[in-house]
Amino acid sequence: MATDPFETEALSFLDALYRTALRMTRSEAEAEDLVQETYIRAFRFRHQFTPGTNLKAWLFRILTNTFINQYRRKAARPDETELDDVEESILYRHMRDVSPGSASLDPETELIDNTLSSEVTDALEALPEKFRTTLLLDVEGFSYKEIAEVLDIPIGTVMSRLHRGRKFLQKRLYDVARDRGIVAARAMPRPAD
Amino acid sequence: MDCADCLERLYAYLDRELAPAEVTEVRAHLDDCGGCEDSFVLEQRFLARVRDCCQEDVAPTELRSRIVARLRMESDTPL
Repeated sequence: MATDPFETEALSFLDALYRTALRMTRSEAEAEDLVQETYIRAFRFRHQFTPGTNLKAWLFRILTNTFINQYRRKAARPDETELDDVEESILYRHMRDVSPGSASLDPETELIDNTLSSEVTDALEALPEKFRTTLLLDVEGFSYKEIAEVLDIPIGTVMSRLHRGRKFLQKRLYDVARDRGIVAARAMPRPAD
Repeated sequence: MDCADCLERLYAYLDRELAPAEVTEVRAHLDDCGGCEDSFVLEQRFLARVRDCCQEDVAPTELRSRIVARLRMESDTPL
């Protein structure tokens, strides 16, 4: 059977689509279904794709739309949580409180390097849906403009979601590190109650 | 450019989304300001770590076969 170039190129993004779906759905079975549905739709609507344009972005748009539609149908109340309560720069602020202007990056780099992959992905999965989706597209290498197009939101919204989402992740990872005892007491004092 | 201006552009700079003129301004400030430079280095490391952690998963091979089989079925079905 002759190889279909559209199919070949589309399948080259399978891993990227799958791991994004995995973080979106938080379930291997649901991620597989979501990715399969994405490819079926892509194939059915391939005449709407302009050859030579960004196939990866087009596939991710189908993935996120499919996810959002299914997700909103399933959820009685969609997850519209904001992250307004997350403190800014909590991770690094604690460290700077101890040694302002210090040239040493050791405690901070130690924290980042000792963070387990599962801790990072758990923290990502704990993000409200719209922040999570925006961060996942960033992780897959899309530009602000591409993310804006995939999600059909303004670039300013992409930037603010990335900013807040990343600060939320840092706070979660800081809390996890503190609980695991990774964070040295001298570098990361417990915030005053 | 002061520290507040510089830190406001931190993510856009690390995400390579700043205009060339602004990149030059940020770099000039970072050359002179160890505090801001520390923040940039840390955030860069953080972003790299998140990216690395997220890219470890690969699709199961059965999923690939299933999708290929399904797409063949689609192409055999007249619209």
